[in-house]
Amino acid sequence: MTEQRRYFDEIALGEEYESPGRTVTEADIVMFAGLSGDYNVLHTDAQFMKQSVFGERIAHGLLCLAIQSGLFSRATTPYATLSFAGLRWKFKAPVKIGDTIRLAAKVTGKKDLAEPDRGLVTLQRTVLNQRDEIVQEGETDLIVEKHP
Amino acid sequence: MRGTYFEDVVVDKVQVTPAITVTETHVGMYLGITRELPAATGGVPDVLPLCLVVGLGWRVTEPPLVVLAFVKLDWHVVKDLRVGDTVHSRSRIVSKRPMRDGGLVVEERTVVDQRGEVVQQGQFTYIVAKRTKEATA
Repeated sequence: MTEQRRYFDEIALGEEYESPGRTVTEADIVMFAGLSGDYNVLHTDAQFMKQSVFGERIAHGLLCLAIQSGLFSRATTPYATLSFAGLRWKFKAPVKIGDTIRLAAKVTGKKDLAEPDRGLVTLQRTVLNQRDEIVQEGETDLIVEKHP
Repeated sequence: MRGTYFEDVVVDKVQVTPAITVTETHVGMYLGITRELPAATGGVPDVLPLCLVVGLGWRVTEPPLVVLAFVKLDWHVVKDLRVGDTVHSRSRIVSKRPMRDGGLVVEERTVVDQRGEVVQQGQFTYIVAKRTKEATA
């Protein structure tokens, strides 16, 4: 089976995608704490967080950043991505256990690179919760292969 | 709570973490949590090293920053990592600015591999608690 991938030439400026939703669970947070080693009380101490401004544990910002990266692959046919070049990202609001997040993305930039076989695709990404509040947003730069 | 509060943050202070070897297990767990599509065999998803070095920041002797919120991240991937590579992070406090509740702290962070080469780098902006606000943090 040939895996379907979209090349740089096939991606149009202004294209928009929306992913399915994903509920962020306690299990996600516990597993991410275990994987990353980030056991900040914000994510791991339910008693302490009861007294905080959040009222309960919140998800790691980087967990939601990683989840949206996975949601992107469910929002559209995967790009022929060679590598991820970078991001400019803002964490706007907390994600709590049981919140359902989804990704809205738009192609805002396409640029040729020095190597003729690849180009840079910039996406504006917005992560929304079930109340349509923006929880994270920013721009990501992907290096995508051109049609061989 | 034990930690470095805004008042004690020292601009230009450098911190070097212990290192961690990126394994197939880390990649498998990461892909399971995120449902990102797997990279090429032996490849490491680009956000994974970033997640690992944040955890490494908890393994230094200095108490960690009492972070109330993660505000902003500017990040560049300089070089791809492979399973089996060993990374550590070097960070420096760039600036601090007080706010009514806590203060903004900007930290510059570099992920370095076993050859001493920079693989990823960028800036984190956090809101760090003030000691006086500990009870409500």
